[in-house]
Amino acid sequence: MTAAASITASLPAPVRFVLGLGILVGFAAAGQALVTVTRLPLPGSVVGLALLWAALGLGVVRLHWLSDAADGLLGILGLLFVPATVGFIGYLSAGAAWGLWLLVMTAGLLVGSAVAGLLASRLLRPGG
Amino acid sequence: MVWIALTLLAFALGVVVQLRARSPLANPTLLATLLVAAALLLSGVPYATYLGHVKPLTSLLAPAIVALAVPLYRLRALLARQWRSLIIGGLSGTLAGVATDALLSRALNLGQDAQRSLLTAPATSPVALQLAQFTGAPPALAATLAVLSGLVGALLLPGFLSVIGVKHPLARGLAIGAVAHGVGTARAREEGELTGAASSIGMGLAALIVTLTVAGLGSR
Repeated sequence: MTAAASITASLPAPVRFVLGLGILVGFAAAGQALVTVTRLPLPGSVVGLALLWAALGLGVVRLHWLSDAADGLLGILGLLFVPATVGFIGYLSAGAAWGLWLLVMTAGLLVGSAVAGLLASRLLRPGG
Repeated sequence: MVWIALTLLAFALGVVVQLRARSPLANPTLLATLLVAAALLLSGVPYATYLGHVKPLTSLLAPAIVALAVPLYRLRALLARQWRSLIIGGLSGTLAGVATDALLSRALNLGQDAQRSLLTAPATSPVALQLAQFTGAPPALAATLAVLSGLVGALLLPGFLSVIGVKHPLARGLAIGAVAHGVGTARAREEGELTGAASSIGMGLAALIVTLTVAGLGSR
């Protein structure tokens, strides 16, 4: 393990990035495969997240193998949603109905986050 | 290729604007969305064509969501200590959001398609997409409303939470992730790693609770 650690630690940064990206894509694929096989109505990427978290906890995957790639991707997370959010133009013909849709959605957001935020604040254990 | 370039440049411009203007409306995802949408409408290029062109970009989304395991793992000791607050807060918040969407859209007598689509809006769009077959919502509308819920949440929730006095980064992140999932989590990360990690927990719990709720309602 120490030998493996020293080899991966001495990899040049761009190679470490590729290694990390490979691991992340691999876990995304594993999550997707698991969802397809079990027919769970969950996104493969969220299942992949849980799998990677477990692998890190078990020491199968080391944090420094993928921290560069993970931080890089997470730094532009907002960009990766743009193609999906642009999809709203497919429903522009709904016109005035959007006003009500947004009203309901906003009410749900405010009520839901207020309940989550206030409840979580109250239940937090002191000292962090 | 042009569309990838446009999307990247629009987002970069959004970040520049965000650094200059200190307004919550200067959200890079929102600005890029509006710029790309305007370009599509002006050029007459259909959305499906755009989506085909930017596939290399969207294929990075799944590994990026997986990457949220890294901050969660870094903060594992703290999160293990606060699991009660995270689980109870996240589940209750998502449930309250779904209930509000369901009751209000019924009270306002929205169309069937919108009612069914709004039901899954607090969950991340792949969940909304997969649950559409159970709720009978048009998949594209369910996914669109889910993503927009994240966008609206990213714009409104940080300010709203400050107003109602939710200050702790864990509680703030959780509250954002519980109803505004991925896009909200991207915004929550701007407040710090702890807020972002709590938000990804909220997102995961929301995916679970919305799925269970829809399944539990026996759907339609």
